[in-house]
Amino acid sequence: MKRIIIFAIFAGILFSETRNWESHSAHLIPEKRWEMGVFQPFRYGYSESTEYSVYPLCFFVMPNFSIKKPQNNFAGYTSAIRYKMVYPTPFLNMIAKEGKFGLISPEFQMPPMLGLSATWLMSKNINGASLTLNGGLDLGIVFGDLDIRSSLDLPLVYHRLGIYYNKWGIHTGVDIQKSMTKKISILADFDLRLLPGYNGNYSIEHKLLVVWNKSENFRIMTGYKFVMGEYPYGPDMQLLPYLPMVETWVPIIEFQWAKYKR
Amino acid sequence: MTKIISALCVLLVLGCEPFVTEFSDSSDAIMYEANHKTSASYNGGVFTVVTWNIRFGIARFPFFGDSCGDGVVLDDDAIEKNMAAIADSLNRMNADIVLLQEVDVSSKRTGYLNQVQYLLDNTNLNYACYASMWKADFIPSDGIGRIDAGNAILSKYELTDAERIQLRLRTDQDGLTQYFYLRRNLVKAKIPALSQGEKNLFAVNIHATAFATDDTKQKHIDTYLETLSEIHTSGNIFVTGGDLNSVPPGSITDFCLSDMCEDEDYHTQSAEEYHKEGSYFENFDGEPDILTPLYDSYAAAISSVDANLTVHFTHGPSSSYEINNIKYDRKLDYLFTNHQWVDGLSQTHQGAWELSDHLPVSAVFSVEGIR
Repeated sequence: MKRIIIFAIFAGILFSETRNWESHSAHLIPEKRWEMGVFQPFRYGYSESTEYSVYPLCFFVMPNFSIKKPQNNFAGYTSAIRYKMVYPTPFLNMIAKEGKFGLISPEFQMPPMLGLSATWLMSKNINGASLTLNGGLDLGIVFGDLDIRSSLDLPLVYHRLGIYYNKWGIHTGVDIQKSMTKKISILADFDLRLLPGYNGNYSIEHKLLVVWNKSENFRIMTGYKFVMGEYPYGPDMQLLPYLPMVETWVPIIEFQWAKYKR
Repeated sequence: MTKIISALCVLLVLGCEPFVTEFSDSSDAIMYEANHKTSASYNGGVFTVVTWNIRFGIARFPFFGDSCGDGVVLDDDAIEKNMAAIADSLNRMNADIVLLQEVDVSSKRTGYLNQVQYLLDNTNLNYACYASMWKADFIPSDGIGRIDAGNAILSKYELTDAERIQLRLRTDQDGLTQYFYLRRNLVKAKIPALSQGEKNLFAVNIHATAFATDDTKQKHIDTYLETLSEIHTSGNIFVTGGDLNSVPPGSITDFCLSDMCEDEDYHTQSAEEYHKEGSYFENFDGEPDILTPLYDSYAAAISSVDANLTVHFTHGPSSSYEINNIKYDRKLDYLFTNHQWVDGLSQTHQGAWELSDHLPVSAVFSVEGIR
């Protein structure tokens, strides 16, 4: 068994592939390159076989960290595993307050909670498009009493925090990226999150982005995100981003930068 | 390509419902029916009308918004228990028409229980119409979250022509607060089974502003009077009522000190606000007599002479009892008609004190003298 594991690790290193702007795929970021965006995490290629990422903007109120490691190619697919860890408690307690921007009722004290997630990624080029399949397990470890009434019943948020109330969940998805011209590409994804036994047990997220790659160090993307799912109040769907007071959808606009560390 | 564009259009329409629902001056109320109707037939005699602000079924829970508490979200078991007790009370009153204020139909704070449907399914009432006064996907304040709360008319008999009439928004709030705040309304419906000869019978339910410090309450009462006058002058009959958030003529108008929470300060030079919002009834000229036109024009279930008697008080914040041992100290809930009530049968049900911070008022409509 030990040999198999060692072989798997080394094979992963041998067969690892690196590419720019491929955070969603099984490809790792090249060594010593970093990439970051306004809404995307900071990613860094520590070596040919290790990619780290964190969300720096929220790191101090919601410590988070992920690591991506290459695995053996499987059925012609480049494969990798991504492990994630997040500690949302300080942030949740920050928004559990009276008055404006009190998103959670102040009567609830959120206990220490740790979110762990492992995702298997498999990528392959098919007919000029890069296809990535993913699937994994999410665990929510809670050190204390978590009141079910403290849930945040919002799209994107409810099912992500649901793992702490439900203790576990699974996720799967598909990403397709295709270059339309030398500079323009399209990225579409579909993700399913399942929280078996939970009140509001699934969500489906779909994103479509048009990407303009100005250079290998800068790109702009625009598009939409669509979320539908089951919530404690019933099924709901929402096109995002949505501006409340103007009551309109606006396109996502994301800027991303990258560079090689000297 | 056409299919993709069509799919995107469907996404845009379905996925872009407003975050906060705003209403036109007049819109249709939402209709409900009991899942299993009880038999009810009207044979031309008297019928009973009830008004009750049920405080969204949280009974005397120390809610942050209207008492000195800090609670926001009640647990499901407590809500069920409270709603069952409210249903039992309504069954005991055997009302033909019930005017409810502060009813939740899909709110985080009350476990998303549809209280209109619950009451229809657990009382001898069969039909309802509902008008939201607060409907938003998410209120980002105090942990309120998703909310849909409003007024409802419940009846044994079928309702038609149900209309939600928008009342003016408060003008003493900044734009952001107003956007997320209540949009109060009155709801009106015709009850064909209770028509009296050629005259149609309407039920009208209102919940006027509680906390405005400008003249919003006057505007609400003006719209209410206009609505009633239209029914009256067209030769029809109405039974009406609700939580008017106004005291009767001759009442005490300042309850700031009895409603004051332990960490608050009013009526002093150092006080941030001299009066407590919702506890003071002289915010503008004429507010103490704001209900005089109603008493002058129509028949009150509890006459203006009796309205300030302790036995007819309908309201006292939860904290007034906890801090000052006051269960109820003012009348805010009323019933009127443009015909008449049966003498001596109007009641303020103070035994229901534990079920809400408002007490139900009932009266029996008299058919005598209708031509």
